[in-house]
Amino acid sequence: MSRFRRQLTIGLSALLLVFTSGCWSSKEIEDLSVYVGVGLDVAEESKFEKSINEQGGHYPKNNNFTATVQIVPRIGPKQDTQKGAGASEGQSFLNERLTGDSLFQIFRQFALRRDRPLIGHHLKVIVVSHELSKKYSLEQLLDFILRDNDIRPSCLVLVSHGTAHEALSSIEPGEVPAFYLKGVVGNAYRSNKILPPVSLAKLDGKMQSGSSFLLQNVLTAEGEHKFSGAGIYKGETKKWIGSLNQIELEGLSWITGKAQQGAVKSYAAPKGHTVTYEIKSTKSKIIPLVQGNNISFHIKIDSEGQLMEDWSSPEIPSTDKYIRKLEVQFADTVKEQIQQVMNKMQRTYRVDVGGFGDELRIKYPKVWKKVKKDWDETFSHVPVTYDVKINIKDSGSSTD
Amino acid sequence: MNRKQDQLTTVQAAAFIINYMLGAGILTLPRTTVTAANTPDVWISIILSGLLVMLMGIILVTLCRRFPGKTVFQFTEEITGKWIAYVLGVIIILYFITISAFEIRVMADVTGLYLLEGTPVWAIVMVFMWVGFYLITGGVNSMARLYEIILPITLILFVLAIFLSSELFEINNLRPVLGEGIMPVVKGLKPTTLAYTGYEIMFVIMAFMKNPEKGKKAMVWGILIPMGIYFITLVMVIGSLSIEGMKTRTWPTLDLMRSFEIEGLVFERFESLLLVIWIMQIFSTFTITHYAASLGCSQLFKKKQLSWMIILLPFIYIIAMLPDNANDMFKLGDVVGNVSIYLFGVVPLLLLLLSIIRKKGGKHN
Repeated sequence: MSRFRRQLTIGLSALLLVFTSGCWSSKEIEDLSVYVGVGLDVAEESKFEKSINEQGGHYPKNNNFTATVQIVPRIGPKQDTQKGAGASEGQSFLNERLTGDSLFQIFRQFALRRDRPLIGHHLKVIVVSHELSKKYSLEQLLDFILRDNDIRPSCLVLVSHGTAHEALSSIEPGEVPAFYLKGVVGNAYRSNKILPPVSLAKLDGKMQSGSSFLLQNVLTAEGEHKFSGAGIYKGETKKWIGSLNQIELEGLSWITGKAQQGAVKSYAAPKGHTVTYEIKSTKSKIIPLVQGNNISFHIKIDSEGQLMEDWSSPEIPSTDKYIRKLEVQFADTVKEQIQQVMNKMQRTYRVDVGGFGDELRIKYPKVWKKVKKDWDETFSHVPVTYDVKINIKDSGSSTD
Repeated sequence: MNRKQDQLTTVQAAAFIINYMLGAGILTLPRTTVTAANTPDVWISIILSGLLVMLMGIILVTLCRRFPGKTVFQFTEEITGKWIAYVLGVIIILYFITISAFEIRVMADVTGLYLLEGTPVWAIVMVFMWVGFYLITGGVNSMARLYEIILPITLILFVLAIFLSSELFEINNLRPVLGEGIMPVVKGLKPTTLAYTGYEIMFVIMAFMKNPEKGKKAMVWGILIPMGIYFITLVMVIGSLSIEGMKTRTWPTLDLMRSFEIEGLVFERFESLLLVIWIMQIFSTFTITHYAASLGCSQLFKKKQLSWMIILLPFIYIIAMLPDNANDMFKLGDVVGNVSIYLFGVVPLLLLLLSIIRKKGGKHN
């Protein structure tokens, strides 16, 4: 009996080794294609797809959009014809493009094209072109991505002014555009012209709540990128309706209190020389006021910072009087920016992307319940007042 | 019962309750509560229902104290007579079996989705059940010792992992407090109460306690700690994902962990950390219920407990595999939860009143 027991023990523990070592369905990482960026564009079949279709390699689908998948590290033959625009030697990524009407099906089509299966655990950035998101709602476009269990909700979402494929291309050798884009988003702390990062997790919340929202816009020219402005998405349709430019985004950052870093440039009297103010901190408060059926907002902005550049010639000494004058000057510039963005929101696009609705929801939940459904429209008629206070604390290392 | 070997300290008893309570629920808790209440105020509900459950728990302990050294399967006979006791005992056993099956199923589903994609379900489940079986053959004492090791690891890692998500946290998502009055909080009470199922294990383990007079203390601590964990979870998940954003997520707590990456630390991603401690918790819930069910069987039907442990294994497996899909599985969880409210919220009170009226059991106050 004891011998049998021992043998059983040994046998069972050997068996346990098979089950518990966790290598059941493991795959070597070298045998996988890791995709780090996805771009969604208006349908445009590539040459390769066209000629494949001519040869009968067609499957039933509508050509609704084109997906670009960025794979790292670059694998496969060097003389690949499927490289993106502006491909050059020493590229460390590979952009694959396929057209179809289901993102998931497109992803699975890659299995027919590549010897290594795709895995989505490391997807960092999704770029949606504004052309495409004008036609389809983001909810539809990103549905697969939000459902998929590989892709993490920490993935960032951007909107591109040109094609998403361009935004995911680069002429810089060794650079991976997806990582680059993610890196620039991280610069939000250096400039108030960049929106705080919008990840899938946050985006899902915004889409579900039905309020309008912004996505960071990325421009591409000659293989290089610049973040500029933001795409506006309408809450009801989740479609792109327009965009804010850099200055308007800056104005918006004052309203939302996100202007913690950045610069304000102004031209000072009498000769109109350049003066620049560096923001050190900003406190802003949107105060909703409800009187009967009338809703209005008051924005209170209080900022502290430094005078960082002064082109006055001959040099004007930084007397208290001069500084106070500049403070008013800067406050006026900020007000102009706010005016501009308010105009865009209330007149041009008739959407609330400044978080006004949120403040109303918090302060007056009952009122909010009534106006929630038609908020964007209501908002466009709501009077908004604001006062801006700029405090120049010092003038940097230079005293004059 | 060999009383010498199988004795639990107060801390061990509390560890039993906590480890049983923290289980499958925590991954879905934010969704189930917010869907019911529809406001961010559910964090109030979780505290209120915790206090409510504490009351039920104290009633339960008071009942057990009248019958020292006996489990629920043994003492109901004295209160209600043989037949009712049999029926009640069988229901409780079925309840324990279903819970352990449910835990196994959730574990299998989540690991299949996020951890071991491609590994067949039976392979995951089988290892889990074997190891669990091995543990419970050792009796309450070896179980308790394992739980004492698991518990601090769980608490520390869980709190650490969930606070790492603080960069996503936005206080506006939790406001306004009580914006729609008190009704949503009341609506949130039911799903939050379900999160506390697990205190009923005192029905069984009170009999093993070295100092049964400290049963109330173990019960209160056993509920307070999960209350803290649930509270933190709800606040962090709602604050980060907003109530709209998580209503549509199947596993919101896990999605919170997946929603951030921290560069520069040894690990960049923390969901596996959460899954690991969470699987330990599922394991303890599974073993406790399996043990309780087999103990109940052996005390009701007079056979060796070891044989019942083996007999129950396939039953648990089959019940675990019964739900066709994730929705059916969640429905099973709801049914079990509803049953538990009646079984362990109402029945102990009735039994206690009956035992006082019929003057059964001793008085210990």
